[in-house]
Amino acid sequence: MSARTLVGKFAACPPTRIAFGQRQSLRIHLRRPQRCLSSHAPSQVWLARSAALPVFSRTRDFHSSPASCHGGVTRPKPGEGIKVHFKDSKGNLLKTVEANEGDDILSIAHEYDIDLEGACEGSVACSTCHVILDPESYDKLPEPEDDENDMLDMAFGLTDTSRLGCQVRLTRDLDGMTATLPAATRNMFVDEADTSLARVAGAACWDCQNYSSTSHRFM
Amino acid sequence: MAPIKLAVVGAGPSSFYVASRLLSLLPRSGPHASSLKIHLYDRLWAPYGLVRYGVAPDHPEVKNCTHKFDEAATDPRLRFFGNVNIGTTSPFSYALPLSLEALMPYYTHILYSTGCTVPILHPALPPSRYCIPALSMVHWYTQHPSKPSPPPLDRTSHVTLIGQGNVSLDVARMLLTPPDHLAKYDVPMPVLDILRRSAVQHVSIVGRRGPLQAAFTTKELREMMNLPDSSMVPLDPALLAQVQGASLTRQQSRTLQLLQKGSKNKPGTTAKTWSLDFFRSPTGLTTPVSPSDKARLTLAHTTLDPSSRAVPTGESSTLDTDLVITSLGHRSELSAPWYDPALGHLRTVSGRVVNADGRVVRNVYASGWAAMGARGVLASTMMDAYAVVDTILRDHFPGEDVQTTAASGPESAADKAAEADALEVLPKEVDLDAIPPEVEAGLKEGRVTDFEDWRRVDAEEIRRGEELGKERERMDWEEAHNFLTKTRT
Repeated sequence: MSARTLVGKFAACPPTRIAFGQRQSLRIHLRRPQRCLSSHAPSQVWLARSAALPVFSRTRDFHSSPASCHGGVTRPKPGEGIKVHFKDSKGNLLKTVEANEGDDILSIAHEYDIDLEGACEGSVACSTCHVILDPESYDKLPEPEDDENDMLDMAFGLTDTSRLGCQVRLTRDLDGMTATLPAATRNMFVDEADTSLARVAGAACWDCQNYSSTSHRFM
Repeated sequence: MAPIKLAVVGAGPSSFYVASRLLSLLPRSGPHASSLKIHLYDRLWAPYGLVRYGVAPDHPEVKNCTHKFDEAATDPRLRFFGNVNIGTTSPFSYALPLSLEALMPYYTHILYSTGCTVPILHPALPPSRYCIPALSMVHWYTQHPSKPSPPPLDRTSHVTLIGQGNVSLDVARMLLTPPDHLAKYDVPMPVLDILRRSAVQHVSIVGRRGPLQAAFTTKELREMMNLPDSSMVPLDPALLAQVQGASLTRQQSRTLQLLQKGSKNKPGTTAKTWSLDFFRSPTGLTTPVSPSDKARLTLAHTTLDPSSRAVPTGESSTLDTDLVITSLGHRSELSAPWYDPALGHLRTVSGRVVNADGRVVRNVYASGWAAMGARGVLASTMMDAYAVVDTILRDHFPGEDVQTTAASGPESAADKAAEADALEVLPKEVDLDAIPPEVEAGLKEGRVTDFEDWRRVDAEEIRRGEELGKERERMDWEEAHNFLTKTRT
């Protein structure tokens, strides 16, 4: 098997998008972890999702695997829910989905296989579900609490309309809101100079000593 | 597809994030699923690295990430081998020593996720009975296998922390939180006993620079402000006034607001206190003649030069204290392969390990703190791990510009050039299921642990915790070994 076949498979790209010898960017959409067993029969999942996805969705092939874990939210009947547009960091539309009043953005993202992490599972102890909202929707929301702001302080690619997805609950007047995934880059967490620690008044470098954590004992 | 049989050295969060990402990008249901194997090796018997042995016990939410790791471990393509020490000298006699050379023939890919395990010391403050690294405190309250002796808190009324990062605040919080509040968390009973006998009345948190340079984050500072029976010694208003008007980041201005507001408990209303001592740099510690006396810490007063470095003003003062705890960051082990002393961690480019001559070592990668140094929260470790997975997949599928996360950035020409000149150290074809015979033997002996062992210990720790009305009651290796031996059929 060629590697290309595999890439096509794991990226679930429609074959028309993969031309031999042609370089292209594969933006792979992840399946959510299978943490919980879905109560859906696979065929229902397939139908429900197909309706919400563009024709050439790259997520289609994932349905050959067991039903994935969802965000614990129930999908509304098409046309009856509150619409949310998810965009990638470059502003390209990933998906437009429908959800119910009270559902939070992190759970909705999980339900619809949007690659938004929730490392602390919605307990406001990390910033992995950071999303950027359109200004109009942002203004309709109550101000973030201190604990959310504390986490946003550490979010990569923070903007004036950033929120933690787990803290944004849908209301009717948010219909049509856009949640954009942040444009985090590696540089944002590697360029805090390596030299910062070695700087101290009157001392050269603290880094020149070997010390094993186990060699020391109290008393 | 050509196989990816990946050995990961270290089984902490970075390692698990890489493994979990690879497993989900090459799903089990795919036709090439069987070409992927991931073996995680850790020198500790239990997995999760700093999530188990670093995250403060009163931050249980942070540990929720282990659900994702557990999930990854349900994939039969992932195996965990605990108590296997690869390469460097093992600090634990019971861990199976295995050289990197003995591991290499079994794998097509190797990832170093060994973290930063060595505390950076202060040149003026060598470890002694009066001065210990914060890591010893963290290892004590997490019951790490390095088993540091407990701190003599019953004879300690004044503690001085050197360094103003989150580890420093974690230690301060552990020392100042009423033990009854900690009891429901994953704090081992022997640790709670010592905390209950603690005589600590004041914790000074010393930093050589000012409030705008402090490394702690607002969440941790807020927790200090909200301690139930301690208060902060108010800062000199002049200190806060002089930073007004500077162009501040969001985090800096929120930190300043918190500092201005002060602690929830007003100064003077509590027996226990803490202080942030800015612009102080230790120059020495005089130990007392009589054990009942305090040690004397000498602090040079500092100010910032135009490039925000701390420089001495020429003034100094002294601070009488019982215990100095240094919390100045961590680096990787000197003996780690591809370690760069100037960096304090492994030498990498986009996750690829690079040798001293600047050549990429083919199919050898590093992630997490081993690759980027000891900084950043779990979210940054996760993003870095995902970016490293992109690099691994790019190298494995040349011609495809794999980018699954914004963090990895587009592939650069330099990436490709480096790859072309790479050193070959690993085989291209291996037996996908084979493991080194030493590890195989260790598993049979019960010296090497697997993930099933961990699951059983994990369940037992939680069960013991339930009996005591707390999150879990930890086992050390001796207990875990006995438990596993007894319950193994």
